[in-house]
Amino acid sequence: MAIVEASNLSKTFRVPEKGPGLWNAFKSLLHRQWRDIPAVVGASFRIEEGELVGFLGANGAGKTTTLKMLSGLLNPSSGTASVLGFVPWKRESEFQKQFSLVMGHRSQLWWELPAQETFRLNQKIYEVPEAEYRRSVEELVDLLELQGCLSIPVKKLSLGQRMKAELAVAILHRPRLLLLDEPTLGLDVVMQKRVRQFVLEYNRRNKATVLLTSHNMDDIVELCPRVLIIDSGRLLYDGSLRRVVERYAPVKVIRADFNEAVPASALEEIGRVAENGGLHAVIEVPRSEVSKRAAALLSRFPVADLTIEETPVQEVVRSLFADSSHLA
Amino acid sequence: MSKYLYVYSLSLQNVLQRRASLLMDRVGGLAAILALYFFWSALLGQDERFLGYSRAQMLSYVLAVSLLRSFAFTGRGWEVVGEIASGRISSYLLRPLSYQGYCLAQDFAQKTVHALAALLEIGALIYLLKAPLYVPTGAWTLPLFALAALLSSLIFFYMEFFISNLAFWTSQSGGPLFCFELFLQFAAGAFFPLDVLPHPLQAALRMTPFPYLVFFPVNIYLERVPPGEALRLLGLQAAWLLLVASAVQAFWKRGVRSYAAEGG
Repeated sequence: MAIVEASNLSKTFRVPEKGPGLWNAFKSLLHRQWRDIPAVVGASFRIEEGELVGFLGANGAGKTTTLKMLSGLLNPSSGTASVLGFVPWKRESEFQKQFSLVMGHRSQLWWELPAQETFRLNQKIYEVPEAEYRRSVEELVDLLELQGCLSIPVKKLSLGQRMKAELAVAILHRPRLLLLDEPTLGLDVVMQKRVRQFVLEYNRRNKATVLLTSHNMDDIVELCPRVLIIDSGRLLYDGSLRRVVERYAPVKVIRADFNEAVPASALEEIGRVAENGGLHAVIEVPRSEVSKRAAALLSRFPVADLTIEETPVQEVVRSLFADSSHLA
Repeated sequence: MSKYLYVYSLSLQNVLQRRASLLMDRVGGLAAILALYFFWSALLGQDERFLGYSRAQMLSYVLAVSLLRSFAFTGRGWEVVGEIASGRISSYLLRPLSYQGYCLAQDFAQKTVHALAALLEIGALIYLLKAPLYVPTGAWTLPLFALAALLSSLIFFYMEFFISNLAFWTSQSGGPLFCFELFLQFAAGAFFPLDVLPHPLQAALRMTPFPYLVFFPVNIYLERVPPGEALRLLGLQAAWLLLVASAVQAFWKRGVRSYAAEGG
């Protein structure tokens, strides 16, 4: 069953434009110029129940705008979407009870009061029965290691504790769909790992569907078998993370150990030498010629051991966003 | 309903938690009341009248304004502006919750604390300054005044909410809100009774909702209007409330539709 179905979803923002300097400030006072900025252009995709999908894109690519349309915060300029069987921007209560949007830099916890007060408030807002509420809190406290944190005023919690409490309060009502926008923003590596484990566990236990955006590639690699790549508002790729590498990494990596030292200059004929320690070398070769080049390496050099690897996915995605022309 | 009661209870805790801010608010309000009190006290001799107000009525006007200010003019306008402009309002729009109901519950928590504080202050002032308080004689006067105060606070809430909603379209909606609050004090009769103003201006103001916020409710308390007239004023107050609240619903719907959910 499709939990999210977007068809030709587009959003254009109208923003005021002003030239530089004081004169232009006066001019814009009398006659304001506007410019239309397309944030999302004709995005179509489908997400099935229980899927974990990563939304990738550089800053300003349109990820958050898409999430905001799917959660009903923004009305699209054109196109349609069905989320959990509802039109999200109608913001019906029955729809809102079944999903949650967590933004890494947004808080719904009451700052001056202990987090447990916001937990109770959300229990009332989402009409969670008492027994279920207690069970949820117990489970979330355990999974997120929040023991002792809920009775302290939120302003006294560390960033990590606050983020975890934020995540807990957002899913207290056990949403079927979890939209996560930068869930590990600002957290240290240990805490990032904990949050990732939690998301995975939540997905498994509840068959919940998760769509997440993150600039932290580890989040995507560890959590999302499937990714959507968006650039300048256009959805450019929808498929498995593994295929991103196959499709967009132009090179493979040959790691070789030698019986005797080999100078880097001699290895240039095989491919680009990324690393050379004499007895060990890392060489990048064009994907299509990998077997030919590996054979050449074996026949011409005293190779003791050799492995052929894919470029790490983090590297591929990083380079994709550094030069998005690859994507087009 | 229980969610809004819980918001009310949390907001009460929150107001009490911010003791310094509460204290500053009260001290500021008290200073304004003392200034008005001493001004009218110096102006009106023991048996003198001014525009039909006896000394006791005028000084009671000032004290009643202080109570009404604390109860009716609390509002959440600046918070609403901030929440829309920064995008923090998103977290409310995403939950099965009415943002207006949420704000109203928060506002009533403020009203509870501030009205109780104002009652204590007024009691202290009456005791310390031996202020001559006007005590209403009619049995229905106090219930009618309480009803007028409630309607007044709701009209104020919706008027302020309406103006705060400008933040959906402009990032500079703080300006209109500031002007509104300033004009409101004058036009509602919070600085002085509106009888002080020239007749054409009074007549013009009577066609707006402003006098229904302070001037008419206090006049009900001071029994300067007969019971029949008081009922008519309450009816008009209710009509204004309906009008302003309906305007808010329409404006809010348009605002949310054009909301850009800024701030990432």
